Amino acid sequence: MKTLSLKRSIFFMLVLLIGLSSHAEELRRLTSLSGFWKFSIGDDIRWAGISYDDSKWDQVNVPGQWENQGYNDYNGYAWYRKKIHVGELPSNYTIYLMLGRIDDADEVYVNGKLLAKSGKFPPNFKTAYDKTRKYAIPAGYLKANQDAVIAIRVYDTFLDGGILDGKIGMYVDIDNDFLDLNLSHGWKFHTGDSKDWRAPDFKDEAWKPINVPSDWENEGYDDYNGYAWYRLKFNLPKNFNTNDLFLSLGKIDDIDEVYLNGRFIGSVYDLKRDGEFKRAGWEYNARRVYKIPEGLLKTDAANTIAIRVYDTQLRGGIYEGPIGLMKSDNCRRYKNKHYSNQSFWDYVYDSFFEN
Amino acid sequence: MISPLTSHKMRLLIAIALFCLLAMPQQIQTSQENLSLIQSLKGGWTFSIGMNNDWISPKFNDSGWETIKVPSNWEDQGFNGYNGYAFYRKKISISSSLKGRMLYLNMGYIDDVDEVYMNGRKIGSRGGFPPKYITAYNAERIYYIPEEYINFDGMNVIAVKVYDSYEAGGIVGGEIGIYGGKASVSFDVNLQSLWKFKPGDDLRRKDADFDDSLWDDVLVPARWEDQGYRDYNGYGWYRKTFTYTGGNEEDKMVIIIGKIDDIDQVYINGTLVGSTGTFPTKSSRAVISGQEYNAFRGYYLPAGLLKKGQKYVIAVRVLDTGGEGGIYEGPVGIISQSKYIDYWRKNKTNR
Repeated sequence: MKTLSLKRSIFFMLVLLIGLSSHAEELRRLTSLSGFWKFSIGDDIRWAGISYDDSKWDQVNVPGQWENQGYNDYNGYAWYRKKIHVGELPSNYTIYLMLGRIDDADEVYVNGKLLAKSGKFPPNFKTAYDKTRKYAIPAGYLKANQDAVIAIRVYDTFLDGGILDGKIGMYVDIDNDFLDLNLSHGWKFHTGDSKDWRAPDFKDEAWKPINVPSDWENEGYDDYNGYAWYRLKFNLPKNFNTNDLFLSLGKIDDIDEVYLNGRFIGSVYDLKRDGEFKRAGWEYNARRVYKIPEGLLKTDAANTIAIRVYDTQLRGGIYEGPIGLMKSDNCRRYKNKHYSNQSFWDYVYDSFFEN
Repeated sequence: MISPLTSHKMRLLIAIALFCLLAMPQQIQTSQENLSLIQSLKGGWTFSIGMNNDWISPKFNDSGWETIKVPSNWEDQGFNGYNGYAFYRKKISISSSLKGRMLYLNMGYIDDVDEVYMNGRKIGSRGGFPPKYITAYNAERIYYIPEEYINFDGMNVIAVKVYDSYEAGGIVGGEIGIYGGKASVSFDVNLQSLWKFKPGDDLRRKDADFDDSLWDDVLVPARWEDQGYRDYNGYGWYRKTFTYTGGNEEDKMVIIIGKIDDIDQVYINGTLVGSTGTFPTKSSRAVISGQEYNAFRGYYLPAGLLKKGQKYVIAVRVLDTGGEGGIYEGPVGIISQSKYIDYWRKNKTNR
């Protein structure tokens, strides 16, 4: 589906402009996955598996719509498969699988395990053709120095179909360089709101796991707006120095309240002090960095982070990194990189409306 | 049209040209690019002026008829000055080696109106007979022949009923013959045949037990303009009852409905199995991009929907917003997923 009404085009231009004016994350490529992929029309969940024999399958070039590669007029289900060799995995980094734009809906499997999905398959079909696919790969999905199979299930209604365009590959957010301890793995998630959910001893075992950072729309909470909570239990490595530490939570859509071991340590509105949050409506674009009060982190037992999030509309959740602990020098460098570049328009806006 | 243009026909020509221009996106690829000639039917046909519906029957004895050359206008074959009804008939043999292949009868250009029968069963019509006369002298007649109408390796009788208003008349031009689609689809259930059809809209028509016995019989695939619904735009429902004789039970099945002008919802025994375009509801308007008419429909059926030996009703809800309408292009049938994959791979570069 590709035809855009004028209204829609204007909307996307605006989104694009906003996207350009915000400081989008910088990605470093680990592996390119563009080029030939194994391809078959049809649908069979067994095609997700690592040991499925796809040697008789056709091949198509990725990115590129299948209409231009011999499947003109084809609409419906199709699968892409690619076997890769995973080299050394950079520790302390969140690895993203970037798959560009996929027309219309997709589900991505790594070694047979569902990684993420966008849009909706029939019978409640919903397109996501204009969304760039960026899926965080949680720990455990990929093992260093082993083969892995990425399988992508696609459904297309009509007109262009398949992996259309964009960066295809595995990437890391270079801002992970500033982390002293990456905390992007092992988060739990629940929609709704309760005071009890901030408590460190709250039993969240029944909560669903969620990838962080990732739009919760990617994680099966399509169209959800409103309150939701994230929780993470983690232990510090041995001899980790807890003096002068900061908790970085990247970007959150829209509003957050952060509790560490039951104690409130910050919200987006506290970022007003160092100029990172300026005006209502732009909460989603502020980089969360909260000072951790001395003595709050436990070195001998599990720590609990609980984050209350409120999303007003469109995408929601902790959607961009870096997620983890920063020592003061890394935190300073991170802030210098991002906080200092107030744009001209920010300046104009501030001088007109904030004085 | 061989004779010089009279002002009447000129005006008509302009009107038709205008119509074609307006209906441009609706134009259908019926040219012979995708078809290959199997058997030419140029040459002698038996012929009689007049009109008698008994002449449609394959059993009718036409040994007393004249022989006339096709294509050519009957004015040049001894029927100078004749206007009105006439019949053409021809006996042909069709080899069973063509089973499973989509077969078409190309009757070329007919001046002005025609109805074509294969073994006594109508396979197509263009223009309109009096009293609602309308010419279709400049339309190439390519009609799909349902496999169930064909007497393979035996005698088949083609009967063509023609009406000419004035001047040149008859099967006047074109590459007359039997043609085959390049792709042979080995359907598990071939649905290219007569379906029940009714204009209008009623969601109860999706249900298996809905009574369609009084509905019209129409050919699928064919534009509904060619089947007595000239100038009809709006909703229409198709229904087809079949008994599933079973393919591979393990394999997922796909229902192919070719191309539909403009948007559709397909139900099997009341269950929605596929849709292209968005129908209006009480609270929302239809979403039609204008490209739906050209989309190839292959809908994957939920596993286990079809069980061997059971009866099923396919109901297709169609909304045509203008120009031509209906299930206008095949293939139409049910096929296993593995065969569907083969079909696409085999036809990859040809399409």
